[in-house]
Amino acid sequence: MMMDFDWDDPNGGLDEPIAGPSFIERARNAPDDDDDLRLWGGGPDAPNIIPQEVAEETSLQKLTRYWMNERHAPDILPAQETLLGRLLDHIRKQSDDVQLLRADPDASEDEHFRIMLVQTEIERVKFVIRSYMRTRLHKIEKYAKHINMTESLQQRLSKGELEHARTYAKLVDSHFVSSVLQSLPEEQRALDDEVPFMPPMISKPDLKRPVFAHARQACPPVRLPDGSTMEMEKGQISLTPYEVIEQLLFREEVELV
Amino acid sequence: MALPASLRASAIPAELELIASEHLVEIVPLVAMERTAFISGAYGPLRPPQKCKIPIWMATNLKMKKKCHIVPPQWLNIEYLQERLSRETSHPEFSEMPFRFAEIAKVLLDVASDDFQNPDKIRSLLKDIREARQAKSREGLSQLDHSELSLPNLCAMEINEIRPFFVRAMGVLTQFVKDPEARPPE
Repeated sequence: MMMDFDWDDPNGGLDEPIAGPSFIERARNAPDDDDDLRLWGGGPDAPNIIPQEVAEETSLQKLTRYWMNERHAPDILPAQETLLGRLLDHIRKQSDDVQLLRADPDASEDEHFRIMLVQTEIERVKFVIRSYMRTRLHKIEKYAKHINMTESLQQRLSKGELEHARTYAKLVDSHFVSSVLQSLPEEQRALDDEVPFMPPMISKPDLKRPVFAHARQACPPVRLPDGSTMEMEKGQISLTPYEVIEQLLFREEVELV
Repeated sequence: MALPASLRASAIPAELELIASEHLVEIVPLVAMERTAFISGAYGPLRPPQKCKIPIWMATNLKMKKKCHIVPPQWLNIEYLQERLSRETSHPEFSEMPFRFAEIAKVLLDVASDDFQNPDKIRSLLKDIREARQAKSREGLSQLDHSELSLPNLCAMEINEIRPFFVRAMGVLTQFVKDPEARPPE
């Protein structure tokens, strides 16, 4: 819902300026939000909360973290469908409410002002979602053929993404065949043959690419390429090959920055 | 392509600014507003002249419409920065700064310089700190090997700045030690 007040604010009804009532009515009649109420100031003993400092990570903060991880990781990371669904629902609800309120001729200037802020935020969140999806799409197209041959990667994709990887790989394949491969001798048509000293024709993520990892908590030891082990403390920032911290990233013990 | 080439290697400063703008900042509102639910949480109510904490993006929005004054964060004043600068220049390691200090300082100084005492001095201190830290990052490059480099207290913008070069350099070092049958990345 859009205008979710701190219903338990004892002053809520007293020093209400002009615009209050219609909003409160609507907020009360609105269907309940399935989001964590703690973050919404709705809980009975919720203080005047500051989500980012007191409460645990909000959906948006999570998505921002996954977005940056995805941007910096060479490999495709597991899809976050539930989280995305939740945020998209939230955006839909906020926009629906904005539509409703804009249609209201009695809306005061104060309400218009709030509508503007809510819309601004919707656009910000949409930007993050789009950029996140585009980053994944970029990797999916780049590694489409590799994904089609690797079961473990397929599990990290959503249904839609997997479908796209399949069709995209098929298109590229048929393009290769019709433009070049069909005129080559049969035995030279394969793309996955290994020629010594030549880069492979099917591109794969470079798991050795260094990344900057930031430990969100104390991490169990990991083995470094030089044979030693490293135990990241909370807050530590390390530049190290992606494959070293891959498991830590999957367990959300580190984030990429 | 799905992602423009300029965005593939790294995040860009504008994106870091977007992320940093979710941080909260204290304001003195000049307009009243009820408590309102946003996707990132509920903020308000705004009751002038009571201070209130809201995200930076919202504060800059209000500020540009002259509807609030921004209260600078504790670390964004001359005394604090002066102390950091002297520590930065006298100690070999990076001193501790808020992770997104560069972005936050820029956004706030851009839109609300009239809420700061002596914004020009703050700007020049920030610049000095930045330069002192940059020099240290460059020295850090000499410790780079193929397996790990720990960078305590490095901040988001600084990481982003050194990323292309450090990643490339480490990639080259990795290739030196790779087993001979492995192929270089495309």
